[in-house]
Amino acid sequence: MKSSIEKLAEKGFLFSALLSASITIFILSFMFLFSLPLFRGGKIVEFLRLGWNPYEGKFGVLPMMVGTVIIASFAILIATPFGIGCSALISVFSQRNFGRFLRKLVEFMTGIPTVVYSFVAIFLLVPLVREIFQKGTGMCVLSASIMLALLILPTIVLFLTDAFNSVPKNYLNAAEALGATPVQKLIYVIIPSAWKGIISGLVLAAGRAVGDTLISLMIAGNALQIPKGLSDAARTLTAHIALIIASDYESPEFKSIFVCGLILFVFTMLIVLALRLLGYFEILRER
Amino acid sequence: MNRLTEYGITIFSWITGIILIGAIGVLLSFLLYKGIPALNPSMIFGETSPLDALLLKKAVVDGLFPAIAGTILLIITSIIWAIPVGVASGIYLAEYCDSKWKPIFNFLLDVLAGIPSILVGLFGFAISIFLHRHLSEHIYPCFLISSLALACLVLPYIIRTTEQSLGNLPFSIKTTGLALGASRLQNILFILIPYNLSSIISGIILAIGRCAEDTAVIMLTGAVAMAGIPTSVLSQYEAIPFYIFYISSDYNSQEELMKGFGASIILLGICVFLFTLSNILKRKVAIRFATHT
Amino acid sequence: MPHTHRKVILMKETKIKIERLNCYYQQKMVLKGCKGAFEENAITTIIGPSGVGKTTFLMVLNRLYELIPNCRVEGKVEIKLNGRYLDIHSLSLPALRKKIGIVFQVPNPLPMSIFKNVAFPLRLSGVKDRKYIKEKVEEVLKDAILWDEVKDRLEDSALKLSGGQQQRLCIARAMITQPDVLLLDEPTSSLDIEAGLKIEELLEGLKKRCTLIIVSHYADLTRRISDHVLTLKDGRFREHGNSS
Repeated sequence: MKSSIEKLAEKGFLFSALLSASITIFILSFMFLFSLPLFRGGKIVEFLRLGWNPYEGKFGVLPMMVGTVIIASFAILIATPFGIGCSALISVFSQRNFGRFLRKLVEFMTGIPTVVYSFVAIFLLVPLVREIFQKGTGMCVLSASIMLALLILPTIVLFLTDAFNSVPKNYLNAAEALGATPVQKLIYVIIPSAWKGIISGLVLAAGRAVGDTLISLMIAGNALQIPKGLSDAARTLTAHIALIIASDYESPEFKSIFVCGLILFVFTMLIVLALRLLGYFEILRER
Repeated sequence: MNRLTEYGITIFSWITGIILIGAIGVLLSFLLYKGIPALNPSMIFGETSPLDALLLKKAVVDGLFPAIAGTILLIITSIIWAIPVGVASGIYLAEYCDSKWKPIFNFLLDVLAGIPSILVGLFGFAISIFLHRHLSEHIYPCFLISSLALACLVLPYIIRTTEQSLGNLPFSIKTTGLALGASRLQNILFILIPYNLSSIISGIILAIGRCAEDTAVIMLTGAVAMAGIPTSVLSQYEAIPFYIFYISSDYNSQEELMKGFGASIILLGICVFLFTLSNILKRKVAIRFATHT
Repeated sequence: MPHTHRKVILMKETKIKIERLNCYYQQKMVLKGCKGAFEENAITTIIGPSGVGKTTFLMVLNRLYELIPNCRVEGKVEIKLNGRYLDIHSLSLPALRKKIGIVFQVPNPLPMSIFKNVAFPLRLSGVKDRKYIKEKVEEVLKDAILWDEVKDRLEDSALKLSGGQQQRLCIARAMITQPDVLLLDEPTSSLDIEAGLKIEELLEGLKKRCTLIIVSHYADLTRRISDHVLTLKDGRFREHGNSS
C-alpha cells in the first residue's frame, strides 16, 4: 500500500476523532452563545433564584431545579436498595439459573424505551397513586420517582453485578474456607472490595435520573411550583426545556432554556469528573 | 453479625428480586393486554389499503404507517452519519492516538456520552435557529437536523465499542500482521477490524436501538404529530416514539388510545430485538476471546 | 546422534552486526553494551535463563520492540542487504519485516483458511498474480514439511490444525516473502517432542536460503542443528562453552 494512502487514512481517522470530540465543545458553545443575552443583562442571579412567571417577567428556574433534585433523589433512594438487593441476589444468593434469569430480565429492561415506561405508567401507576393520595391527578413526584427508579434500576444492577463479580476469587475462596456464609461474604468481602464500582454505578444512575426527560414530562405533572411533598406535581429542568420549545418560538422566555441547557451540561461534566475520580473509566477501558 | 440480621438481609434481597419481577411482569402484561387487540393492519394503514400506502400512492392519515416509515428513515440516515465517523474515531483512539492527547479525547467523549438527550435535542434546535438566521429562511427543525442530532447522540456508543474492542485485543493478534510486514493501515483493515467485526456491529446495533427509541431529541428537532411521509430532508416527519408521547396526552377516543398501546408494543418489540441481538454478538466475542491463546 | 561440539574457527560472511546495543524495558536495562555477529546462512541459537531478554532481543532485530510500551533501544544494529550493511532503522518497517521474518513461541495463525494464511504476506505486498501465489504457497508449505498433510484441505480454517502443524504453517507463512533472516522464539517449546523434531528437521533445510536466529530454552533440542550457540547473560552475548 502506498504511503500516501496511509497518510490520508491516518488524517481521515484523526479528523473523525476531532470532529466527534468537538461536538461536545460545540454543544457547550451554543448553549453559551444563546444564553449570552441573559448573562449580559445581569439577570443570571435572579434567574437562578426566582420562580417562573412569564407574565411578571420572571424567568427563574428555581422550581425546576428543585423539581429535578427532588425527583432524582427519590428515584435514587428507591432504586439503590432495590439495586443492591437484586445484585446480591444475582451474584451471591441465588442458584445459577435463577440468577441468570434475573440478570437476563434486567438486561431486557435496558431495552425498554423510556416512552413506553411512561405511557404504561400513565394508565397503570398514576390512577393507583391518585387513589392512595385521594387528591390530585396522580401525576406527581411520587409517580415520577417510582418510574424513574425503575428506569435506572438496570444501570445500578448491571454495574453492581459486574463489580461483585470482579472481586478477586482468592478473597472469596479465603472467606469460604474460613466458613463464611453467603451473607457474610457479601458484607465483609464483596462490598468493601467493590465499593468503587458500587459508587460508580450509583453516580452513573444519578446522571441518568437527572437527564431523563420523558418520565417527568409525562407523569410528574409539570406544575410551576416548588414541590413540598410527594403528592405535589413538579417540573424538572429537562421537562421544562421540552415544554417551552413545544409552546413558543421566538418569545422572550426562550433564551432561558439555554441556560437550563448550560446547567445540565455543567452537571454532566461534574458527573464525568466524579466517575473519573472513582476510576470508573479505567475499569471500563480495561474490560 | 447475628443470624437474624443475616437472615433479614437474605430475605430482603429475595423480596427486591420478586418485586422487580412482579413489576416488570405487570407492566408487560398490561401492555400486551391493552395493545394486542389493537394489532391489526388498520392500526398501521388506517383506512387506506396497504398496497396503496406502501407504494406511496395515497397518504395514510389515521394509521401508524407514516410514523413507522419516519422512524425507519430516521434510523437509516442517522447511522449513515454515525457509523463512518464513529468507527474512524474509534480506530484513531485505539491505534494512532498519542497517550498525551488521549485523556482530553476521552473526557470530551465521555461528557458527550453522558449528556442528557434533551440537551442534544436542544443543541439540534439551536443549530436550526442558527441556520435559519444565517443561512436560509426556509430552515426549520426538520428531518435533516434530527438525523444529525441523533447521530451525535449515538456516536459515543459506536466510538466506545470500536475503541474498546480494538484496544482489548491480545498482543499476539495486534502484532501478527505487523510482524509479517503489514503497514499499520493494512493491519487495521485486514486483520483487526475483521477480527472484531462482531463487537463493532454490536455497538452499531446498540446505536440503532437508541435511534429507534429516542424521543427527547426528535421532539425538539422536527418530529410532529401529523406530517405524513417526509418528502424532503427539510420537512417535518412523524416517528413512533413521538406518536406514543403525543397520544398519551391528546387522545380523542379509546381507539386512538389503543393505537398508542399497539405502537408501544411495536416499539418495544423493535428495541428488545435490537438490544438482544447486540448482546448476543457481544457474547460471541467474549467466547472467542476465552478460547484464543 | 552423538552430541558434537562445534567450534567455530572461521566465520563466513556476517549477516547481522550488533554494536553497543542497549535496551531498556521499564527503567530496567535488559541489554547492556551488547555486541554480536550472526553468520549468514547459518543457524545461531541463543540460550539463557527465562526473562533474561532473549525474546526482547529478537524483537529489537525486526523493530517489533517499538510496539512494546516503555521499551527503548540505543545502539547500532545492521543487516547486510545486497552486499551493503544497512542500519535497521533506515528501512521502512514493512520492508524490514519482509526481510526479517519472525515465528513466535505460540503459533499465531490468522482466523483464515490455510491457503490465505500462508499467502497473506504476498497480499500485503500487493501481489495479484494468482498462479504465482499458488506456486509460492505450495513451495513454502513443502519447505515447511506441511504440504502433504494439508494439500487436500487448503481452504480449511488454519485454526483447526494441531499445534505442530500450526507452527509449521507460521514458518511457511514467514518464508513466503523470501526473507534473508528468520527469527524463531522458542519454536518448539509449546510442542511435543515429535513435532519439535520435525521442526528441527525443516529448520536445517532452511538454512541454505536464509540466516536463522533461534531463541531456545531447551539447550539440547535445537542445539543439535546449530552452527553457533550464544548465551545471553547480564545483557551480553557470550560464546557458549563446552559445558551444557
